[in-house]
Amino acid sequence: MHHAFKLGDAEHNLELSRSASAYRLHLGEQVVDVDLKTGADGRAWLTLGERHIEVVIATRGDDVFVHLDGEAYQLRYQHPLDRLAAQAGGSAEDHIRAPMPGSIVSVTVKAGDAVAKGQTLLVMESMKMETTIAAPRDGTVAAVTYEKGQTFDRDALLLSLEPMEKKS
Amino acid sequence: MTTAQPDVSKWPFQSVLVANRGEIAVRVLRTVQKLGLKGIVVYHAADRGTAAVKMADQAIEITGPTPVASYLDGAQIIAAAQASGAGAIHPGYGFLSENKGFCAAVEAAGIRFIGPTPEQIDLMGDKVRARNFVEKAGFPVAPSAIEDDDPKTFVERSRKVGAPLLIKPSAGGGGKGMRIVRDLALLEQEIERGRSEGQRYFGDGRLYCERYIENPRHIEVQVLGDGQGSVVHAFERECSVQRRFQKIVEETPSPALDAALREKICETAAGIARSLNYRNAGTVEFIFGQGGEFYFLEMNTRLQVEHPVTEEITGIDLVLQQLRVAAGEKLGYGQADVKSSGHSIEFRIYAEDAARGYTPTTGPILVLHPPQGEGVRWDSGVLQGGEVTSAFDPMIAKLIIRGSDRNDAIARADKALRETVLLGCKTNTAFLRRLLQHPAFVAGDVHTGFLDANPQIAAEPEMPAETLQALLGAAALSTRPMRDVADAVPDMHAAMGGWRN
Repeated sequence: MHHAFKLGDAEHNLELSRSASAYRLHLGEQVVDVDLKTGADGRAWLTLGERHIEVVIATRGDDVFVHLDGEAYQLRYQHPLDRLAAQAGGSAEDHIRAPMPGSIVSVTVKAGDAVAKGQTLLVMESMKMETTIAAPRDGTVAAVTYEKGQTFDRDALLLSLEPMEKKS
Repeated sequence: MTTAQPDVSKWPFQSVLVANRGEIAVRVLRTVQKLGLKGIVVYHAADRGTAAVKMADQAIEITGPTPVASYLDGAQIIAAAQASGAGAIHPGYGFLSENKGFCAAVEAAGIRFIGPTPEQIDLMGDKVRARNFVEKAGFPVAPSAIEDDDPKTFVERSRKVGAPLLIKPSAGGGGKGMRIVRDLALLEQEIERGRSEGQRYFGDGRLYCERYIENPRHIEVQVLGDGQGSVVHAFERECSVQRRFQKIVEETPSPALDAALREKICETAAGIARSLNYRNAGTVEFIFGQGGEFYFLEMNTRLQVEHPVTEEITGIDLVLQQLRVAAGEKLGYGQADVKSSGHSIEFRIYAEDAARGYTPTTGPILVLHPPQGEGVRWDSGVLQGGEVTSAFDPMIAKLIIRGSDRNDAIARADKALRETVLLGCKTNTAFLRRLLQHPAFVAGDVHTGFLDANPQIAAEPEMPAETLQALLGAAALSTRPMRDVADAVPDMHAAMGGWRN
């Protein structure tokens, strides 16, 4: 199995296995004894080797939110199948995602349009500032997700390009 | 100062509608309900589950093309006030709080506006007229050139102000369209840019130029007037820690002032309010140079976001004073009665990612454990189970700390920020802790450009290996598919150790 979590922009591979009393976390060559006991109020105790650390954990879908040592973190579980699919076809440039939450001011292309690198695809607005989203490469628009006036969250898929044909 | 609870039975209104949302709606309702008055709010559907709506005695839904537009729809809000029999409207801050037309329409509808007179809003809302008024009244303003005085000679007069100078849109606010000119050869070009930005943001291309104060501090003074001849100040607030011209941390007393300078700046503010015969709580903002010189910047004729720090050191409930004055009461106390003790700092909790240029974040509030303890106040409009959306301003709460002195307040603040648990939406609490531990902040030596000059405070620090291990351990144990895979391997196998896939 290939398990991974995304934390910030980095992806971390890991495995979890049973130990006699609890679990073991495998990070590359490192193996650490781990366990988690949750109380009624959502506060929990994480055992990490010899250490016991108070944490607060919440989950939603594939997101795990952890409050640890005075700070909050967000980790996203990467499904093994999704990761395989991502490796097999398509590149990050095919999917144009929102750099921040906002709304669509205008969309200048539609599915099927041929676009050139640098061409304006759409204009979004966030924090009272307009941002132009341009084509990262030459290609054909596969789909446009939002219409003028609609709002979206950060990392929302705004527009996708047809995958580039592999050079044989 | 603690004032006696007023006898509200004699007041001309027995219910107050809050024309606002979020933490400030909660804050106003708290005082309204404590007095035994009925508290009413208007809300857009996006705010249905928020603290203010749950707390209000009555909540009336308003609609609009966008959530923000509904809170700007004065006619609809006045209709809601009339339908609910509200005797007064409190506008909070932002939205309609400094809108002359709204203020006049409220009073024309026979409802008390908890704020200044329409004329006072009008005068202070126009930066150029406000500046001229203050200068004529004999108070300090920065050397400047105003385009409207004589558009033909504007460039020439701007040049005479000297570099560095700041170009601002006359109709502006919030730092939009402001440009710094250090090289006068670029003056005309920058004026044209400023004009087109002013046109774009405010629909008004008129400009003015003023001397730019290098590394200035932002110091403001809380004033209170009853419109019947009495004005007092309630000391200063220092709001120099800003990002994108917006305040993040505010405190009082200001570490930049000694007793003599404090009295001078506070008396100047009170004098400006007195020359207006000001009615309501208000704030006179100054730009404060490193040499101790200060100039009038603007006057906000409303309750300020950062008003709680003043309340913490003076014991004055500023919303109560607004209500009393709107009800026609006199202040009933003088300057000598307003005393302060201790130190207070406010931290604005924003749903934003400091390391990504302070861009707003959104998400569900899955867990919220506000900090508690001696000297800790949490003013918030969000609840656990709520959601932070991009529909409104990203400020979701304010943490207000009171300490015996500044160091005590900083220590308490660090502990409270550590203990603030908010999961589901990234906030700036970790950034705020890095900020308050910075030697310059500890020394009280900051200016409005401090965060721009120290971008490392906003950057995400390198994560220690132990922290990463703990996070991955916690995440793995909280993720069903990972536990399932681990549990599928027989214990005996695992107990033998050395198992690898």
